[in-house]
Amino acid sequence: MVKEADGGTGGLGDGGKEPEANAPSPRLPVPPSGTESLLAVQLGPLRLKNPIVTASGTFGYGLEFTDWVDLARLGGLCTKGLSLRPHAGNEPPRICETPAGMLNAIGLQNIGVEAFLSEKLPRLRSMGATVIANVWGDLEEDYVAIVKALEGAQGLAAVELNISCPNVEKGGMLFGNSPSATASLVSRVRVATRFPLIVKLSPNAPDLVESARAARTAGADVLSLVNTFVGMAIDPETARPRLSFGTGGLSGPAIKPLAVRMVYQVARALPDTPLMGIGGISSLSDVLEFLAAGATAIQVGTANFVEPGVSQRLVEELEQYCLGRGIAAASLVGRAHRTGPAPADAGAEG
Amino acid sequence: MIRPGQFVMLEVPGRVRPYLRRAYSVADARPDTGQVELLVKTIGAGTAALEELIEESEVRLLGPLGNGFGIDGLPAGARVAVVAGGIGAAPFPLLLRALAKRAIAADFFFGGRGETDLALLDRFEGHVPGETFLSTDDGSAGERGRVTDLFRRRAQAGRYARLYACGPMPMFAALAPIAADLRLPSEFSTEAEMGCGFGACLGCVIPGMDKPFIISCTEGPNLPPERVKW
Repeated sequence: MVKEADGGTGGLGDGGKEPEANAPSPRLPVPPSGTESLLAVQLGPLRLKNPIVTASGTFGYGLEFTDWVDLARLGGLCTKGLSLRPHAGNEPPRICETPAGMLNAIGLQNIGVEAFLSEKLPRLRSMGATVIANVWGDLEEDYVAIVKALEGAQGLAAVELNISCPNVEKGGMLFGNSPSATASLVSRVRVATRFPLIVKLSPNAPDLVESARAARTAGADVLSLVNTFVGMAIDPETARPRLSFGTGGLSGPAIKPLAVRMVYQVARALPDTPLMGIGGISSLSDVLEFLAAGATAIQVGTANFVEPGVSQRLVEELEQYCLGRGIAAASLVGRAHRTGPAPADAGAEG
Repeated sequence: MIRPGQFVMLEVPGRVRPYLRRAYSVADARPDTGQVELLVKTIGAGTAALEELIEESEVRLLGPLGNGFGIDGLPAGARVAVVAGGIGAAPFPLLLRALAKRAIAADFFFGGRGETDLALLDRFEGHVPGETFLSTDDGSAGERGRVTDLFRRRAQAGRYARLYACGPMPMFAALAPIAADLRLPSEFSTEAEMGCGFGACLGCVIPGMDKPFIISCTEGPNLPPERVKW
């Protein structure tokens, strides 16, 4: 019953994504086909063939999804969070379902950057995937070392810094929760990598707009928001937390209105900063909502678990939407900011 | 082609609760008609959603997923043991029919808390030559006591070519040392809460002996007990 892989079309000469990603490059512009120009979006230096990207931690290394998704069709895919060395992650139980979503405390289990470069990236490249490496560490030095390890990588489009994982003891969210720590980390990584730099922000930060401003000022090309919200579930019988880590990150449709509000807020405060919106996206109307709020691209997360082909379906539905109306996807960005005065409370924190 | 011991991730469309799909062992499959049989016991939101469905409702299946039981290499005429705890018996009709095709005999050990846990017994009998042994915690059917104790008393070294087991974690923990004592090659069909079923979420890991975690959905769910930290 598993759908056969449909990835045969993306491999032809489409692997070298990074010249395009590293605009301005001296490459001659190729006249884009109709739908490609209709769907393409520009996130600072990063040009994506469409605004549909898969979120880190919900799409494995991409290769787990080739039965259902032609990776070349996606705007991009964010890898599982990579660390310098392989990381085992947290003890089970690691996930638990909650109303319209789930809590997870996977703990950033990953194969490490070296294995990613040797085992995963070449295959992703041959499939024509636009690959965004999501990276994390305990210390600033770890982040710098990882982006340096990625520096010579062929077939990488961008790097996304995870400064917002709530499920590890050190690093992770600690960088994202303080604007000064965010600024210090981002500025060090900025000078260490030639790739477009995306910083993934935490909705748990005390002041998301200040964190966003700090990351942007320190050199982030793009901000992705938001990561998961710290939550908790307790078994009413045993009165023990359902996750071994105690708390976990909440994702899924349950967080969508919170994430839309945050994207709207940051877009309003930093109108020139390219944003990727994340949080409970599983339908075309969700995509349109995030674009309207000010995201130039979006990331599909938890929905990938429920419907592994959802990312490609959203690309196809957005294509039909844009073709049917004869409009470019880029023109859908920020519409909510042009439709009238901001609601009085939209700028208020908390 | 669905192999015995594989599973499907089932979705009841149009719901946000349950939001995630649920994993169910394939109890039986008929390639000629395209029918798949699942045996389901209502315990939580996922199974309750199924109970509410009326006949001919649409559900969505993702699969078949997982590694399936290893049955290659068993010679015709061999005898295996099958140990099931309650609804853990779900994957065995398909296994037993596959064994029958290879002329392999199976003794079936089936335990539950009470008689109602053994209600589906007739789904497991008559597929292959072999004996059936029953136990219940309350003694309402078969012997009073644990199915693992029942198995320990009946099994002797060399009697079985393989052990297949499916049930709750405490059953596995009790059965693993018994299988080890008998030097009996075994496969335990582990049950872990799964987010996706195809190796992406890493939510269903089980602590391993030779590495920190085994990814239950893709490396299993059927695992040799000596690889698992029970």
